[in-house]
Amino acid sequence: MAKKPAATAPDPSANGDLTDTILREPAERRYADQLEALKQNDTETPPTNWRLSPRSVLAYVIGGKTLKATIGGKSVEVPITRKFFGDDGIVERAIVTLASERALLLVGEPGTGKSWVSEHLAAAICGTSLLTIQGTAGTTEEHIKYSWNIARVIAEGPKPQNMIPSPAMVAMRSGGLLRFEELTRCVPDVQDALVSILSDKAIAVPELPGDALVFAKPGFNIIATANTRDQGVNELSAALKRRFNYVYIPIVGDQKTEVKIVQQRAAELLERYKLPAKLSPPVIELLATVFREIRNGKTSDGVSLKKPSTTLSTAEAIGVALDAALHSRFFGGGEVGPADIARNMVGAVVKEDQEDKVALKEYATLVAKKRGAKDKSWKDFHDALVEQL
Amino acid sequence: MSSSLITDAGLDADEITRRVDAVLSEPLYWFPVRHHSPTTARHVKSALLARKPKVIFIEGPFESNHLIPFITDTATAPPVAIYSSYRDDSNVLGLNGVASAGPDIPARFGVWYPMTAYSPEYVAMKTANTIGAEVVFIDLPHHALIQPHDSAEKEKSTPPPAGPNEDTLITTSGFYQHLASAAGFKSWDEAWDTLFENPHGNDHEAFRREMATFCCAARATSDHAAEQHSGTFERERHFMKVIRETLAAKKLKPEQAMVVCGGFHLFLDRKDKKLPPPCPAGTVYTTVVPYSHFRVSEMAGYGAGNRAPQYYQTCFDLVDAGRAEDIALEHAIAVLRLVRKAGDPLSTADAIAITHHAAMLARLRGRAHPTLDDIHDALITCCCKGNPTEDGTKLLAAMDAAGVGTKIGKVTSKLGRLPIVNDFHTQLADLDLGEVLGKEKRMTVKLDKRDQLAARRSAFLHRLVYLKVPFAAITNTGGDFSGTLFREDWQLKWEPRTEPDLIEENLYGDTIEAAALARLREAMAKVGTHAGKTCEQLVEAVDMDMPDLVQAAEEACGKAIDADPSFVSQATALQHLGQLDQYAVFRGLRRDVLEDLLTRCYDRACFSLPDASSVPEEEQQAVVDSLISVAEVVQRAEKSKYDRALFAEAARTAASVSTVPFLRGAFLGLLCEIRELPAEALAAEVAGLARAAPTVMVTAGDLLDGMLAVSRTSVMLGAESLVGAVDDLLKAADWESFLVMLPRLRAAMERLGKSQKDSIAGTVAKRYGLGGIEEVTAMPASLAATALVARLDAAVTATLKDWPL
Repeated sequence: MAKKPAATAPDPSANGDLTDTILREPAERRYADQLEALKQNDTETPPTNWRLSPRSVLAYVIGGKTLKATIGGKSVEVPITRKFFGDDGIVERAIVTLASERALLLVGEPGTGKSWVSEHLAAAICGTSLLTIQGTAGTTEEHIKYSWNIARVIAEGPKPQNMIPSPAMVAMRSGGLLRFEELTRCVPDVQDALVSILSDKAIAVPELPGDALVFAKPGFNIIATANTRDQGVNELSAALKRRFNYVYIPIVGDQKTEVKIVQQRAAELLERYKLPAKLSPPVIELLATVFREIRNGKTSDGVSLKKPSTTLSTAEAIGVALDAALHSRFFGGGEVGPADIARNMVGAVVKEDQEDKVALKEYATLVAKKRGAKDKSWKDFHDALVEQL
Repeated sequence: MSSSLITDAGLDADEITRRVDAVLSEPLYWFPVRHHSPTTARHVKSALLARKPKVIFIEGPFESNHLIPFITDTATAPPVAIYSSYRDDSNVLGLNGVASAGPDIPARFGVWYPMTAYSPEYVAMKTANTIGAEVVFIDLPHHALIQPHDSAEKEKSTPPPAGPNEDTLITTSGFYQHLASAAGFKSWDEAWDTLFENPHGNDHEAFRREMATFCCAARATSDHAAEQHSGTFERERHFMKVIRETLAAKKLKPEQAMVVCGGFHLFLDRKDKKLPPPCPAGTVYTTVVPYSHFRVSEMAGYGAGNRAPQYYQTCFDLVDAGRAEDIALEHAIAVLRLVRKAGDPLSTADAIAITHHAAMLARLRGRAHPTLDDIHDALITCCCKGNPTEDGTKLLAAMDAAGVGTKIGKVTSKLGRLPIVNDFHTQLADLDLGEVLGKEKRMTVKLDKRDQLAARRSAFLHRLVYLKVPFAAITNTGGDFSGTLFREDWQLKWEPRTEPDLIEENLYGDTIEAAALARLREAMAKVGTHAGKTCEQLVEAVDMDMPDLVQAAEEACGKAIDADPSFVSQATALQHLGQLDQYAVFRGLRRDVLEDLLTRCYDRACFSLPDASSVPEEEQQAVVDSLISVAEVVQRAEKSKYDRALFAEAARTAASVSTVPFLRGAFLGLLCEIRELPAEALAAEVAGLARAAPTVMVTAGDLLDGMLAVSRTSVMLGAESLVGAVDDLLKAADWESFLVMLPRLRAAMERLGKSQKDSIAGTVAKRYGLGGIEEVTAMPASLAATALVARLDAAVTATLKDWPL
C-alpha cells in the first residue's frame, strides 16, 4: 500500500535562489523530486532512520521507473533517472552492506564513479550527502572525531557545547551516513580512529567529565571510497579491513553503456555550465571508441595497441567531452567536432609518463589514419591529434 | 505463477490454466521435474509416497531398463551415470567416413545420463523400491535419433543429438525471455532457484501445479523448429508408446501409474498417432559407471549439467534433516574452510556476516529464500578486499571448489564391467601396477625398455596416453639423441575420469590394445598424405608396440612421403624416421625399409625446399625450424648417408628465388652453417644493401634476422666482416630508413647468446679503437640520445687519432 502523500508536500526542487548561486548542487537537492516521489510511493518500511526502504534506494540509483507523486501541491509524473550504469548487483550489494553491521568501501580505478555512487546512496538513505570527510595525507584524528573551540575552552573549560563535532560525529548523532572519500590517502594511525567508531559505534570524549561517550543512533554507517591505485599507499589494517565490506566498481566495459554514460553526464555538465555547445551522438561514439580501444590495447578490428599507464576511465571521457565543449564554445563554432575531441585527448592520456604519448601516436597512425581514409570524422580526429602530438 | 505475468508475456492466462488443469486432472499422474533439482526430488518422493503407484515411468534411456536394479542396489552410491553407446557395424546409417575417419571405420556414438543422489529420477527409483513399484524407462534410445547419411546431407550442420536438454527449449521460449527480463534474472539457474528451489515448500501438489504452469507457458512460446530439431516429438512418441504398451501388458489402469519426466513433456501432443523412429541395427553397450560431482558440473561441459553439485547436495541433505535455514551458513563455512586452507584468514564472524548479507540480498531481490547467487555475492562482498578477479582469486577458486565438490560415486560389483575396463584392471595386475588404484598420490615409475616387463609396461602406458585416458603421463624420455634411448619416466595417478573415459573407448574395442589400434587406424586415415603426421603415427605405433600396424604404417609413410609436397612436413617426417632409426633393431623394425624411407624423405625434403622459399609470414618460422632440423640430420649422419650437395643446391636455389628477405637470409645462413658458403659472403650480402636504394636497404634487418635464425656459430667466425658490413649499412642509412630497419636488427641481435653478444660488442669496440675496456655498463637512454652519443663518440675518436698521445 503506497503511503498517502502529504497534502502540503513542499516542492523539494524549489531551492530558492540556491540553484542560481551555487555551482554544483548535492544529489539530494538536484534529484529532490525523484527522492520525494520514491518516498511517496514506498510500500515497504525503511530501516530505522533511513529515508527510503532498500528497494526504493535501489530504484533511485538504477532508475527506469516513472512514478506519480504530489510535488509542491501538484500531481506530477516523475521519471526516475538512472544514476549508475553497470551491474545492478553492485548497487544491491552496497545497499545491503549499509543496512548491515559492516561499513562499505567502494574501490575501483580512478574515475569509475565511486564518489558518485557514494553521494547518491547517502542522499537516498539519509537525505544528505554532505557529511563528508575528504581523506588526505593531512587528515588528522580530530577531523574524524571532534575538535574544540579553543577560545571557549580557555574561557569555560571543556563542555559539550564547546566541542566541534566532526561530520562523523554528526552522522552518528543523527543515525546518518558518513562519506569518507579517499580513505587510503590517510595515514594508518588516522585510519585506525575508525576502528572504534565501527566496532563500538561510539566516540569517547575523555576531556569531558565522567565516562563521556557519543553513541551512534541506528542507521549510522560509513561509505568510504578508495582508489585501487592507492591501495598500497596506506593500506588498511587487517582490523579495519574486517569492518568494511569492499564493493569493487569496474571500469565500464561495453561501448553501448559507455556512450550512454558520457551522453547523460556530458549533457548534465553542459547544462550546469550553461554551455550552448552541441555534442552530437556520433562524436560521443567516436570518443567512447577511442577510449575503449586505447584502454583495452586492442581495436574492434583486432589491431593490437600499446596500453598507456593512465586509467582511461569513463569519467576521463566525460572530462574530455566537457573540455572539448568549452573549447568549441569559446574558440570554435559551438558544435563539438572530432577535432575538438582530439585536441583534448593528449591531456587525458599523457599524464605522469611521457611514454604514453607514444601510445597515442601509435593509435593515430595505425588506427585513426586508416579509418580516416574512409570516414571524414576520423580524418578530422587524426589530423587534429597529429597536430597536437 | 501469477496470471498477470502470463498475460504480460502475450499469453492467454485462462487458456494456460485450462491446459494445465487438463493435464493435471488426467487419470495418469504426471509429475514434472528438472534434472538434478533437489527440491523437485523431494516433491517427487512425497508424491510417490502419497500415491503409491504400481508402476513409475521415468524419462530414462529405454535401452537401459535392465540396469535399474543395479542403480538402486544398496552398494551403488551416486553420482553414477548410465552410459549408452552405439556402433554402426554394418554402416546401415551410411555415416562411415562421414561421422568416422574413414569408410572402413564404423561410426560411433555415446551418451551419458548422470544421476546425483538428489536427481529426481534417482530418488523416484529408490522410492519405488520402498513402495514396491516397478520402474520403466521410457525415453527413446539415443541412436534412434541419428540421422542417416541422406538426411545428413540435407542438414549438414546438424550433428546427432548428444542427449536430451529441455533447459535450452525453455530458456529460448518467449515466456521465459519475458520473465527473465521483467525479473532481472541473469541466468536460467538463478531463475530456476528463485522460482522453484524453495527449501521450505512442502506441498508437492502446489509445486506440481506451479511448475506445470511455468512449463505450459514456456512450451506455448517455444521455438517449434528447435523442438523438432532436438527430436522432442520423436522422444515423446516413444514415451507414449511405452506407457500405453506397458499399461496394457500389465493390465493396469492409468491411475495406477505415475510419470516422472521433464516439465516440458507434460504438454506433449497426446493425439499424435505417429510411431517413434526405429532403432538402427548395430552394437549397443549400456552400463552404469561411477561418476563425480566434477563431471556433473558445467565445468566438465555436460550440457544439462548442474552449476554446483555439492551445494545442491547440501541443500538436499539439510532440508531432509530439517535444517533448511542453515543452507547459506553451511555453504559459506564450506567455502571459508577452503579459503583458509589456501592461506587467507577468514573467521566464523565472516561466515555470520555472509549469511546475514545473503539473506538481506535475497529480500532486496524479492526472493523468498537466498539462492546460490545471493550467497556468492555475499561471499564476494564480505570476504574479497578489492577487485575479485585480482584480489579474490583464492576466494573464487574456493567458491567453485566448494560448489562442485569432490564426491565420487560407486557402482555395485554385481554389475559386470565392460570388457575394456576389465582389460585395464587385468593389465594393471599383470604389469604389477595395481597399487596405483589404492593411492591418491602420483606414483613415479622408471622404465628401461630393454627389460621385458618394462617394455610391456611402456607399451601399455603409451596406449593409454594415446587413448587420452587420464592415468599416465610421461615425464622424461629417451628416443632422441640424448643417449638415454631406452629410458622412460612416468607418473601414474588414477582419477575419477579414468573409468568413464575408458568406457567411452569401448566403442573402439574390447581391449586397450584393440581400442588403441582402432584409434591409430582412424588417425592414419585422417592425416591422409601428410608425411610428417603419418610418420608421427608410425612412431606412435612403435611406441605402443603394435607390430601389425607398423607394416601398414610404413607403407602409409612411403605413400605420404611420395605425395606430400610440403618441405616442413617432409622435415618433420625425417625427424620422426630418424628417431625410429635409432632403435630400429631393438624394436624389431625392418632396417632396410626405414633406410629407404629416410632416403626418400630426405630427397623429397631437398626438392621441396625451393617451393618454401617465399611462404607467407605465419609459415616462415616453421620453414626455419625445418631447415635447422634437416641440417642437423645431415651433419649428424655418416658422410655417405645423405647427399649433402643436394641439400646445398636446394638451399642455394631457394636463396636465389626467394622474395622474402628473412627467408633468403635463413637460406644463406644455412649454407654458411653447413660450410657451403664463407661467412664473408654473408657480410657481402649485407654490405650490398648499404649501397641499395632506401626501399631495398630497409630489408637488411630481415636479411640479418634470417641469417642469425639458422646460423650463429659460423656467422660468429666471420663476425669482423659482418660487423663491418652492418656498420657500413648504418652509416649509409638515413634516419627514417634506420627506424624502419631497427626492430628487425634488434630481433636479429636478440637471437645471439650473451657470450656471442659480448664478442660482437668487442669487435665493434675494436673497430672504433675502444678495445681493452674490460667492462661496459649499459646506460638506459632514448634512441635519439644513444645515436647522439654514438656520433659524439665517433667525432671524439676521430679527433683523438690526430693527437700525439
